[in-house]
Parts: sequence; structure tokens; C-alpha cells
Amino acid sequence: VLQQRPLAVHEAAASRAGDVVVRLACLAMATRFELVLHGASAPRLRAAGEEAISAIHRLEDRLSFFRARSEVGRINASAASGAVRVTPELFGLLRRARDLNAVTGGRFDITTGPLTRCWRAAHGDAAAPAAELIDAVRACVGMHLVELDEAACSIRFERPGVEIDLGAIGKGYALDEAAAVLREAGVERALLHGGTSSIYGLGAPPDGAAWNVALEWPPAAGESPRESPRERVLALVPLRDRALSVSAVWGRTYQVGNDAFAHVIDPASGLPVTGVLLAAACCSNGADADALATALLVARPGDEPIQLPQGWGAVLVTEGPSGEVSTWSKGMDLFTGSSGSNGK
Amino acid sequence: MASDREEPGAPVRELDRREFLRHGSIASMAAMMGGVELHAAARPAAAAATKRRRSDAVASIGIIGFGEWGREIAATLDRMEAARVAAVADTFPVMLQRAGRSFPGAARHEDYRALLDDASITAVIIATPTHQHRDIVIAALDAGRHVYCEAPLAHTVEDAGAIAQAAKAAQGQVFQCGLKYRTNPQHRNVFQFIRSGAIGRAVTARAQWHRKQSWRRASATTARERELNWRLDAALSPGLIGEIGIHQLDTADWVFGGLPVAVTGSGQVSHWRDGRTVPDTVQAVFEFPGGVHMTYNATLASSFDGEYDLFHGSDGTVMLRDSKAWMFREVDAPLLGWEVYARKDRFYREVGVAMVADATKLEAQGIDPTKDDPNVETPLYYALEEFVDNVLNGPFPPAAGFKQGYDATVAALKANEAITGNTRVSLDPALFAAVE
Repeated sequence: VLQQRPLAVHEAAASRAGDVVVRLACLAMATRFELVLHGASAPRLRAAGEEAISAIHRLEDRLSFFRARSEVGRINASAASGAVRVTPELFGLLRRARDLNAVTGGRFDITTGPLTRCWRAAHGDAAAPAAELIDAVRACVGMHLVELDEAACSIRFERPGVEIDLGAIGKGYALDEAAAVLREAGVERALLHGGTSSIYGLGAPPDGAAWNVALEWPPAAGESPRESPRERVLALVPLRDRALSVSAVWGRTYQVGNDAFAHVIDPASGLPVTGVLLAAACCSNGADADALATALLVARPGDEPIQLPQGWGAVLVTEGPSGEVSTWSKGMDLFTGSSGSNGK
Repeated sequence: MASDREEPGAPVRELDRREFLRHGSIASMAAMMGGVELHAAARPAAAAATKRRRSDAVASIGIIGFGEWGREIAATLDRMEAARVAAVADTFPVMLQRAGRSFPGAARHEDYRALLDDASITAVIIATPTHQHRDIVIAALDAGRHVYCEAPLAHTVEDAGAIAQAAKAAQGQVFQCGLKYRTNPQHRNVFQFIRSGAIGRAVTARAQWHRKQSWRRASATTARERELNWRLDAALSPGLIGEIGIHQLDTADWVFGGLPVAVTGSGQVSHWRDGRTVPDTVQAVFEFPGGVHMTYNATLASSFDGEYDLFHGSDGTVMLRDSKAWMFREVDAPLLGWEVYARKDRFYREVGVAMVADATKLEAQGIDPTKDDPNVETPLYYALEEFVDNVLNGPFPPAAGFKQGYDATVAALKANEAITGNTRVSLDPALFAAVE
């Protein structure tokens, strides 16, 4: 999704402007994070980047759903039997997840893990999970089952079987923290991304007003192949102290019977989302952008899905029942190319 | 350990029964039962004491130095019911802002002396640059506070001696050095195992720490940046061996039960040629009494194979890695017994027998000892747990007290001298005897 070309262009401009460029990468949260830092001194940029990377690793240690020793792992192990005290940082993130759940009308939900597992288990089966099973699992899903105690800085689950997974905002949050570390270390220009789906632009490159990130069209069924790089661009998103997050359903799917299902589950119905091929969200921070992009996938085509807060932007690419592809955007411009014609 | 044994008449555990049926001999059954004890490492004294303690007492702790390690310490303490991060001191306002975000209830001070003036803080943890330890430790001890000081204690032997003497004189106050492996259950398990003769006669040891990292720090201001980069300042830095290697060297001191008599070292700036003179890659050979040598490698230029410790004996080798341990037996070594049913992991052509601390306890809790224990904490957690327990219920002699801290610091600083001078340095026993 993140086009490499603009980066190469920025690097050429950087050397003209006397900037050096340092790239760092790390593997965390089951993806590859990359930091592209611009500035005057390579050793200083690298030093700052290393600190940012260590912040990402530390967050992974704390937030990972898959590590029994992480804070999230401990919560899932014992919050059903009693309140679990958490660090103020994690509490802040949980509160934010609760607020985002409200803002998105329940579409973004950190408790959908049991439903996802239910569908994952059906992968390769002849039939979808039984409705009774889905109903039973849904009884363990929902933010109303998660009690946050502000005064005690603790979390408790209303019933056994509830669990939280911050995976859907973890990458964006990690980018926010990494950007904060970079700013503290004096870095003024950087582009950061996690697996190219969560992107943060800190400041702007020396030759432009913002980091321009190209968003590509999803490979939709029934579409004529888009050959030229220009044709493949869905939107060109300028990022200056802003984050972009992209969610798409074509990556991981479950095969049940003859149907392929998306890995994102609508918490309201307990069923995999359909209809949305790609959702992208843009706002001042990565965690919110991640949450919104995930929530947009859950939106029903045709509706204005979510009342976007001021300053947020979003793009949706949806596919109708007969394969017709349409787009919706707000606060974000679709790429029209030099010809001036809308891409779709 | 007696408490870890099974009650007479207890049903045969499922694991044993399966293995018994598979191997089908009374001898192997007996060997397995005999081997169980080796698994059952003593938990750190702190953990045992925590179980005794049922009071709601909470230690109010001040953290001096809120850099990366100080924040790790604070986050670890925050998970303990018996500890509260009550105050943070750091000379850099940005760090105090971070403290405000992470620990809104904690007092914040730019000067550590203000933190020491607060009578409600009973204990302090010092995670400042090494060369600042001496003044802060002595001021904290003078103020009557319990002190946890990160390792190494100091950047000079003289300062380390001054700290150790002050700690020794502060009767009734806890002083713990951050040699974090002394309190780590897995290290204790391995220590007991090796000291019981299970790998035969000690032959040699090898340890390494490999990471791809510049060790440089950046800041928005030049003055602050100079301050932050003390590890790259030859006049102040104990080097890789002093800042990192000290923990692995301390493990060897502990396992071998003695201190090195000489060290030969060399160091290079092999990769980070950014004007630094402090080596980014070091080698050292420590000579222990009895002709047992330990070789040590550390580099900031390659991450391959990370961090591990190997203790080679005539009957087998033990590898410590990621808070886990494995044993590799020589084919001609006598059978210990329990290894027949232990988990085995393959390392290229070798098969390692996983050494699980507290295997019998884990089984009693319904946790399969052949899987990774989800309850295992970081070495830092166990070290801080012992400190907190000691503050609340002590003082009892810590596993890593002023003497262990002093010895390890001196040996590491002398090794750094050997490394920077590309030479061999003898370690006069009188040097260690200066603090007893």
C-alpha cells in the first residue's frame, strides 16, 4: 500500500537539501516496522531511531495478546475472576479503546477475539459455525463486559470467556510512541510505518509540505488490471504529523465451504464482514486511525458509516452483490491523476 | 527443597506413569524419582518470604534516573502489589514529563536530594549513569534510605570501594546491587545443578552478548546529548564488559565459586566508526582459580545468536539462554535419570535437555513442566521483588549485596582495563579483600 517511489524521490531531495537519510527496521507485532529518518547527522538519527525501536519492542512485550507474560496476557488470564491492576499507560489505552468503541457505534471492539477464533476454527470446514455457537460466543463479546475502574486503575471482566486483544490499535499506538520518542530526541522529519498498513508522517520531507503516501486500489474482482503506477493510485494522502491506517479484507481469509470470509468479524452479528474491500483512515495519531480503519470495514455499504470527528478523513472501497465497485470518501481526496478524471 | 517432595502415598503422577510404562523398568522409575529433586530449585528467598507475608504493607519507592532502564524498573515495580512508585528524580525535564504520564501519582524532582528529603520514601532505586552512583548512593544511605543500585556499582574501583564501605556501615539498611541473575530462579536452578557435580569437573565457560545497536543516544540539545552519551566517553564508560558483561561475569563468579585471578582482553571499534573510541566489540579471557578459563565476547555490530552463557564440564554442558537452560550430556557421562522424561530441544546437531526450575511445583499447579512456564518473570522482576520484600520484612542479607556488587564491579573494571589496553591484567586478591 505504501508506494516506494515517493520515498526514493524524497531521498534524492534530501541529499540536495543537505539532509542525510537513515533507515531502521525491526520485526515486532507480527510485522516489519520501518523508520525513515531525515536530518543532519546520521549517528544522531540512528541513535534516536534505536530508541524508538526499543519503545516499539517494549510495547509489544506489554500489549501482546500472544505472550502470556504481557500485561494483556495477564489480564486475559485473570480479569474474569477479579479486578487486575494495570499500568496507567495501559489503562489509558483501554479507556481509549472503550471511547473508540462508542465513537464507532460498536464496530471497533477489542473483545471480538472469541468470535475470530470461532471462525478461524471453521477454516476448511464444509459449513459455517452454527448460529447457536455464534450466539453463545457473542455472549462473551462486547465492551459492556469490560469494567474499567478509573480510581483503582484496574480492569475486570463481567464474566468468564471475555478477552481483550489490542492488536487492532497496537501498531498505530506503537507508531505514536515511536514518533514521540523521535521528537524528544530532536528528530524533525521522519516517515514511520508498521507493515505498510499503519503509517505516520512526522514533520515533512525537505522538498514538500508533507509526506505524500500513495494508497493503492485493492485488487478487486471484475476489475480490469491497473497497469501503470498512476492507475493503481486510489488516493495520495499528505501526512504531516498525521497518521494513515489501511485495512483490507483480501489479506487473510477463512475458507468455509465454497466461501472465503474476511478475518474481521462484525461484533454485532458475529459474522465476517462483507462488502468493503478497503478502508483507510487518516487523523492526528496512529491508534485512532487504526481503530477507525478497522471499524470502517464493519460498516455497511451505502451508509455513511460513522460520524467522523473533526479533522479525520476516511476512504472506503466497497463491492456490491453483483461485483460493482464503488468508493466513498470524506476528509480525504481520491486521486484523480493529471487527466483530472476521477479514478472511479 | 524438602517441601517440594511428594507426600508418601501420593498417586503416581501421570507423567511418571506414562514414562514408566514406556520404559518399563524399575531402575528407570527409580532414576526418575531420584532426578525430580534436581528439578526443584529453591525459589528465591524473596518469593518464599512473600508467601509468609500477609500484611498489606507497601514499600514507597523513589526512582533516581528515569532513562530507559529506570522506566523499565518503574514499570516492573508497578506490577507488584507490595511496591509503589512514589517519586521519580531525573535531571532532564522530558523524563519527568514521561514520569508524569506513566505515574501520575508519583512526586517528581529534578534534584535527587529533594527526593531524599521526602521522609515518606523509604527506599530508592538508582538507575543513573554509572559515574553518578557514588554521590547518590552515599547521600541516600546517609538519609537512611534502603538502596538498590544498578550494576556496575561505579566506573572506578575507588568509587566502588566507597559505595561498598558505606553500604557495609549502614547497618539495618538494605543495600542491593542490581546483579539481576543472582535472584533469577533459572540461574539458581542451574547453579545448584552445576555445584552438585552434575556436569562433572568444570572445564571452561563461554559467554556472549551480541546486539546490533549503536549505543549512542540522541537528544534535542547538544549539552544533554553529551550527558546522555556517557557510555561512549572513554573517561566515564566501564565499556561493554562493565555495563553488560558484568552480569554474565557475575554468573561465572557465582557458579565457579571464586573470582578471576587475571584477565586478558582486547577491543575494537569494528563497525560504529562515528568518532568513538570506546570499543563496540570486545573479547576477554578470565582466568579462574584451578585453571578454568571463561571467554567472553560482546559486540554492538552483530545480533547473531544474541546472549547466552555456556558452562562446559567433563560430563556435560549447560547453556543459559533467555531465562531458560538446557543440558547437553557427554555420551560417556553417567545417567542422571530424570533427563529421560524431560523435554528435549534440538540445537543443530545437539539435543539439549530442558532444565525446568520447579518442575514438581508446576505439576502441582497443573502446569505442564515440559512447556514454557507462563508465570516466569523477567530477571529484573525477581531482583526487585527480593528488594521490596527485604525493605518491608528485612533486612536479611541480599543475594546480591555490597560484597557481590563490589567484586563483580572490580573484576569488570579490570577487564575493561585489559580490553582498552589490549593486555593481560592480574587481579590481586587484596583488591577484592579490601571489602569484606
